Amino acid sequence: MASLTIKNAVKRYGNVEVLKGVSIDLRDGEFLVLLGASGCGKSTLLNMIAGLEDLTEGEIMIGDRVVNDVHPKDRDIAMVFQSYALYPTMTVGQNIAFGLEMRGVPKAERALRVEQVAKTLRMDHLLDRKPAQLSGGQRQRVAMGRALVRDPEVFLFDEPLSNLDAKLRLEMRTEIKRLHKRLNATMVYVTHDQIEALTLADRIAILKDGEVQQLASPAEIYEHPANMFVAGLVGSPPMNFLDITVEAGEAGPAAWVTLRADGADKPVLLDLSAHTARLDGYVGRKVVMGLRPEMISQGTTDAGQCVQCEIDVTEATGADTLCVLNWNNQEVLARGTSGYTKILEGTMDFTIETERACLFDPESGLRLD
Amino acid sequence: MSDAARYSAPRPWSALILRVLLWFVLIVFAIWFLLPAYVVVGTSLKDLDEIRGGSLLALPHELNFSAWRHAWSEACIGVECTGLKPYFWNSVSMALPGVVVSTLLGALTGYALTKWKFKGANLVFALILFGCFVPFQVVILPMAQTLGKIGITNTVYGLILVHSVYGLAFTTLFFRNYYVTIPDELVRAATIDGAGFFTIFHRIILPLSPPIIVVSVIWQFTQIWNDFLFGASFTTGGAQPITVAMNNLVNTTTGVKQYNVDMAAALITAAPTLLVYIFAGRYFVRGLTAGSVKG
Ligand SMILES: Nc1ncnc2c1ncn2[C@@H]1O[C@H](COP(=O)(O)OP(=O)(O)OP(=O)(O)O)[C@@H](O)[C@H]1O
Ligand SMILES: [Mg+2]
Repeated sequence: MASLTIKNAVKRYGNVEVLKGVSIDLRDGEFLVLLGASGCGKSTLLNMIAGLEDLTEGEIMIGDRVVNDVHPKDRDIAMVFQSYALYPTMTVGQNIAFGLEMRGVPKAERALRVEQVAKTLRMDHLLDRKPAQLSGGQRQRVAMGRALVRDPEVFLFDEPLSNLDAKLRLEMRTEIKRLHKRLNATMVYVTHDQIEALTLADRIAILKDGEVQQLASPAEIYEHPANMFVAGLVGSPPMNFLDITVEAGEAGPAAWVTLRADGADKPVLLDLSAHTARLDGYVGRKVVMGLRPEMISQGTTDAGQCVQCEIDVTEATGADTLCVLNWNNQEVLARGTSGYTKILEGTMDFTIETERACLFDPESGLRLD
Repeated sequence: MSDAARYSAPRPWSALILRVLLWFVLIVFAIWFLLPAYVVVGTSLKDLDEIRGGSLLALPHELNFSAWRHAWSEACIGVECTGLKPYFWNSVSMALPGVVVSTLLGALTGYALTKWKFKGANLVFALILFGCFVPFQVVILPMAQTLGKIGITNTVYGLILVHSVYGLAFTTLFFRNYYVTIPDELVRAATIDGAGFFTIFHRIILPLSPPIIVVSVIWQFTQIWNDFLFGASFTTGGAQPITVAMNNLVNTTTGVKQYNVDMAAALITAAPTLLVYIFAGRYFVRGLTAGSVKG
């Protein structure tokens, strides 16, 4: 097990700067997820950690060893690829043993370790098959086995679950989580699936155009996104963004929001006094307010400010019912009561938890702190 | 409407006539192409009297292989009356190493060009590809000088070298185009597993290559075996390949022209490539259309 330090990593292909100075520090045994849209440089960063790509600038350390010029095989890492990259002409057993064989591990020990790993991953009956004779989930397991058998310092995963169907993905996700708990190994995991990121990570690094937007725990990222990009990327259904103008209310800052109730627009003064310190100096200026759907929940509670609005449509997903509201011609998602028990329609009461709202500067997109 | 229903519906007369016409044309063309082959085989099995007396198209009276025996071991080529036998073995000892060397080098080059991309790899490939379009005649003079310098003019080794170099352009093209369909992630995984350039080549890439190896072997064997120009240019006398020897055999007949021996010689010369096509032809087509290997 080892820590992993990335210092100001830059990657350029010709004139194109794919990574613009990424710095990440990982504790021994930490699970880091790299999350970002397609093409933001996640795989590039992972390949640089693996040693499959050179750094243009910067430094990568595994433990306290700078590995910039160390060959991939000597970095003591293992990698699981999106396409699994199983050797098609070798059996499952040979696939798993290949890395050991290349390192000169004697045959008897090889067989022993392959057997152990196969048992852990519940695929000891598959060892004599060729990859083409396996299902997607089984191939995925073999790819994991190939990494596990080497017992490396750092595990790297490049979207390992994206080729699986939804149910299998859930299973394997849990399996990876369990594995991490058992091995307590340092892991870096690339995905563009935010649910995977939130469920697996100790910390998430959110990348956009080759820059880290935020590096924090899932809870921190969810509750206190650093900017509007992060806020919009993480969370499903996504956060609602409202343009508001901050006014000086009686108890502190407040803002007029136009809701629709009973077929007519109805302005309501939202109390933002919980954000007094944050909004210091913003009175009279425009601000973006971010409200997650669960911060606008159907019914009256004393958790926030109670308003009446009209429900446009509802989307029941079984566990939750999503209400689409119409606020000043903008669609706003709100959370209805759970299940199918209650019919939601017409104008109803909603509670807005303005205390938990995120406020962003409209120009820089940064969260106001 | 399902396919089965459409095809089993009663055909109108016009369709039937078209079909008959189609068969007629196909049969005419088949005869057109098979007739010369029939004449060659037929004539090689006749003796000279029968050839002179009968029609070109008549069936031989009996299966008489004396012309074949004569062409193989007795016919005079220039002043040596050894038949084609020694030249046949010349061709074998030229073609087999030539095929092996050019196929192996082509595989290695194709592998390096696709899986170990270096700066300018595409330019190198374009230049190699250009070699496919260089006519034989262009390389004869420089090649003759090169062989002279190395000191292997008029030997089978010289021909092996010439064919290996000339064939490299084609084999590289085959292997490169096949290897681009193999996912790069395989090589990356193997690199992390600790395998190097040659280990990855022989443990992972080569085992995936049989379809394209068949293509390369058939192509190169046919090219090398059938070559006349290089053989005629770089060898004389005893070192000649069978194609050149056969030409000389036909030209050195004194007195009566022995058509049966000439035909038998032509068939002996063509036999290896014919056999290769008959036995491996379908793998050739399969290999040319073979795609990537999904893990
Ligand atoms: N060899 C290369 N030459 C030039 N540009 C490249 C090269 N490899 C990658 N890129 C560019 O670098 C950027 C980042 O690529 P990368 O593969 O890291 O994206 P990613 O975040 O993994 O995306 P995805 O989620 O689609 O896998 C992309 O815009 C890509 O076009
Ligand atoms: Mg990627």
